[in-house]
Amino acid sequence: MKVFRTRASRVGLTLLAATFAVAARAQAQRLLVPMDDAQQNHLKAYGLTYNAIKANASAEWLLNYRGGSFLIADTPDLRRQAGLAGVTIETIDNSRLGQIRAEIAANNEEAVPLEKAPKIAVYTPPDALPWDDAVTIALKYAGIDYTPVYDDDVERGDLSKYDWLHLHHEDFTGQLNKFYLTYRDAPWFIDLLQKNTAAAKRLGFSNMPALKKDVAEKIREFVERGGFLFAMCGATETLELAVAGRNVDIAQSFIDGTPMDPDADRKMDWRRTFAFRDVHLEQSPFVNAMSDIDGHQVNVPGRQQPLGTFTLFNFAAKFDPVNSMLVQDHRAVVNDFYGVTTSFNKAVLKPGVTILANEEGAPWVKYIHGDYGKGTWTYYGGHDPEDPRHGIGNPPTDLSLFKNSPGYRLILNNVLFPAAKKKPLKT
Amino acid sequence: MLGIRRRLLGDKTRDTRHGILRLGVFVGGLFLSAPAQSVLCAQAPADTMAFYRGLDLEAAGKYRDAVPLFRSALRTSAGVNALLGLERVYAELGWSDSLVAPLDTLIAANPHEETYRTVQLRTLQSLGRDADLRRAFDKWTHDMPTSPAPYREYARLLLQKNRSTAADSILARARQTLGTMKDLQLELAQSRAAQGQWIESAQAWRQALATADYLEQAAAYALAPTPSSTRNQIREIFLALPIEVAARRALADLEMGWGSPIDGWNALKGIPPDSAAAEAWSEFAKRAESEERWALARDALESALRWRRTPEIAVRAATAAINAGDPAAALRLAPLADARGDSALAARSYLPLTVRAYAALGRPSEAERLVKAFDRFLAPGARNSLTRTIAWGWVRTGDMARARAALAATGAEGDSSDAAGWLALYEGNLKSARSLLRGGTESSPELALALGLAARLKTDTAVAVGKAFLALARNDSAAAAAEFERAAAVTPPVRSLLLFTAARIYAAKGVDTSAVGLWKRIVEQDKDSPEAPQAELEWARLLRRKGDNGGAAARLEHLILNFPESSLVPQARRELDVVRSAVPSRVGPGQLR
Repeated sequence: MKVFRTRASRVGLTLLAATFAVAARAQAQRLLVPMDDAQQNHLKAYGLTYNAIKANASAEWLLNYRGGSFLIADTPDLRRQAGLAGVTIETIDNSRLGQIRAEIAANNEEAVPLEKAPKIAVYTPPDALPWDDAVTIALKYAGIDYTPVYDDDVERGDLSKYDWLHLHHEDFTGQLNKFYLTYRDAPWFIDLLQKNTAAAKRLGFSNMPALKKDVAEKIREFVERGGFLFAMCGATETLELAVAGRNVDIAQSFIDGTPMDPDADRKMDWRRTFAFRDVHLEQSPFVNAMSDIDGHQVNVPGRQQPLGTFTLFNFAAKFDPVNSMLVQDHRAVVNDFYGVTTSFNKAVLKPGVTILANEEGAPWVKYIHGDYGKGTWTYYGGHDPEDPRHGIGNPPTDLSLFKNSPGYRLILNNVLFPAAKKKPLKT
Repeated sequence: MLGIRRRLLGDKTRDTRHGILRLGVFVGGLFLSAPAQSVLCAQAPADTMAFYRGLDLEAAGKYRDAVPLFRSALRTSAGVNALLGLERVYAELGWSDSLVAPLDTLIAANPHEETYRTVQLRTLQSLGRDADLRRAFDKWTHDMPTSPAPYREYARLLLQKNRSTAADSILARARQTLGTMKDLQLELAQSRAAQGQWIESAQAWRQALATADYLEQAAAYALAPTPSSTRNQIREIFLALPIEVAARRALADLEMGWGSPIDGWNALKGIPPDSAAAEAWSEFAKRAESEERWALARDALESALRWRRTPEIAVRAATAAINAGDPAAALRLAPLADARGDSALAARSYLPLTVRAYAALGRPSEAERLVKAFDRFLAPGARNSLTRTIAWGWVRTGDMARARAALAATGAEGDSSDAAGWLALYEGNLKSARSLLRGGTESSPELALALGLAARLKTDTAVAVGKAFLALARNDSAAAAAEFERAAAVTPPVRSLLLFTAARIYAAKGVDTSAVGLWKRIVEQDKDSPEAPQAELEWARLLRRKGDNGGAAARLEHLILNFPESSLVPQARRELDVVRSAVPSRVGPGQLR
């Protein structure tokens, strides 16, 4: 009996020791998700990291280290997810981790803990396909959950349920991007007009511009209260116009029955907007542009500017982690792409706006960011980073063909940065 | 020429290609005009001697020496050609700025000479003097207010520089000033295409092609990037009445490039038969033949035959028909009677096709009769080749004894042929089959399978495997699937491959339960075999076709995680994305919808 007990104890001790050893090793090991050219699927790497945070596994963003790599816990489920998605991972032991941390400490690099998966809302019409909006395309592909919201939800006050809000090509001036000029007989346009007009009436507004301006105002309040806003394409420009023109008639007669206020420029209140000031509105109902915010004016024959490339700025990761997060990429120069609003003229930027990317020698910038109230906003011009001339009705971009897209990475940087623990420390 | 240029430019960007193409289309014509004019002036008067001496020196690469001669010839009757010569040699020497002053003088003396003006624009653009270029253009329009030439030349230069918006505004001005775009359709088409205005570009191309049918390839090239959602509108424009051969040819080219050769043929098949139509059909068939689209080649050549019957087209049509798996059409398209009294022609061109068709149709006795009838016109090599084809025909009917006898009649050559290799395989003689089939000339999925099996099986005989292949050769798929399954039971080294083949046949016949049963066996019992990931992928695809996305995702995940080294993993990931709706589902499993 004594012998048995002794042997059992020995076996038990051995098992216990082995368990501790495995546990210690498991705890010590991390998975490095490299984001330089070693990565086979950059876009799904964001999904893997987002899902790690969501599952309460530890995650860090290693800014400027190997293209902005991620360090996540080594768990069987995350390994499985990486394998299924084709995301390149490297097992890192304590010794290697020490080397990485030393390298980060010695260079313009920083490790930022990622703590809480942000709740994501995408402002998009209920019947819209997810394929016509670069952000929903990216989120779908990366495997990141989001909730579509639209006017009824915003008016109901539902934005407070979310941390992060994305806008794409909505026209917050309520003029449906002036597509009336060329598409007034197109079935999709007629349908869009009818639905929006009905929504305005249902929600108690006199017309569509009134509804959209109110939605814009609620989005402004969302940011002011601490929300993260990311907008692309025409939503950037029109959101600003709608906020500044809250009490001005900036809509053409084809949409609200009255012409635009000829003195609108003077009456706009730019103190309330995020990014722009002293903008000149496009007064002609026959010119498919809203203002002089956009540098490229893609839909205006004679004004359209050619596409070039834009360059991402390199920020000091230790002092300016937010801006650094937003520009993490394995390419510093990215091909430009058109949108209803493609770029932002420097001349109308507010002082204090951070330029994240610009086109060298051009009077416009591509990618900007700033704080507003307790929240932040980021604008990224253009419609689809991998379809530079995306037209209405064009087929959607299949991201499995662009899984290393540097342009799409910028979108996904915006999704992850609200998860960061550190608050910005501006230089 | 455009085709060669396209091949040469295969690795350049789309924009660069467009630019260079335009350069070829627009500038090429001008440079080519110089030698043409030289020929016309072959009986040169004395005052043009300097020009010809200049040409000789230029051809010899003595550009500096050619300069004074061309300059002295500027005021002669060869003045226009001399100017073009001067433009070329100055460009070679990097002295293009020296051309500006002489051009001013020439234009002042001959304000209506379009070539001088064109060279002036080109020179100013090459020097980067945009403001002077614009002034020269304005002056030209002022001096010749009703001519489309200044608008055309300036727009072309702008398009070469990828300044499509600027070109567009010049063309808009032309429309306003001239009241018509009749002579500017090509530039309009290029400009619209460069701006992504595909419908407007197609409309302009359609008009340009009405007067310049040689632009069909340029039209197809410019419109090739049209997004798929707009392609139907492009089709409508090119298909609109009246039927014009050039427009239809351009559309056919476009469709081939867009990966819809059937629509390409649809664009051409309805054009009224004449010599231009016959040429279009023949050209289309040539492309279809090179891409091994045999059914389309057959149809196009059959249409061409209706316009003019020639032995060459008839033989091409019949060959295409046989390759398309339509031997009956081959007999109709190239009947022996066509050769009429020319028995040698019949024996050389028509007979081999007829024998192949009879063999494929399982009528080897008729083939034998024909070969006998033409025997004195056949060279020994040709006769043996025909006999082997007949032997193959006997195999298809299942008469192995007659097949063997037919081969024996051809002597030693017959014993070493592909057909002998197949016969050996059907009889289970792997040793002979292995050596004969490996050196064969044919290529088919069956041959790839047979060679794969023979390579993996180390034994010299495999009777059960032979039986399975024989059933396949007889087009008895039900029996073939069962035989492959039976063979798997007695041939463990290639069990997974035989089961996979049987499963494929079952799946093709719609016997899904049997197919799934076999795939499951392979994945579970032969998981180390190369067929295991293949079986899993096929299984997932079947589940997806049946609407079981969850089941398909589970199979794909299993494949990715358990066979990470398989070359099918990227495909599995892609299909997993589709199943999970992570990417647009326009691409189905393994094929375009």
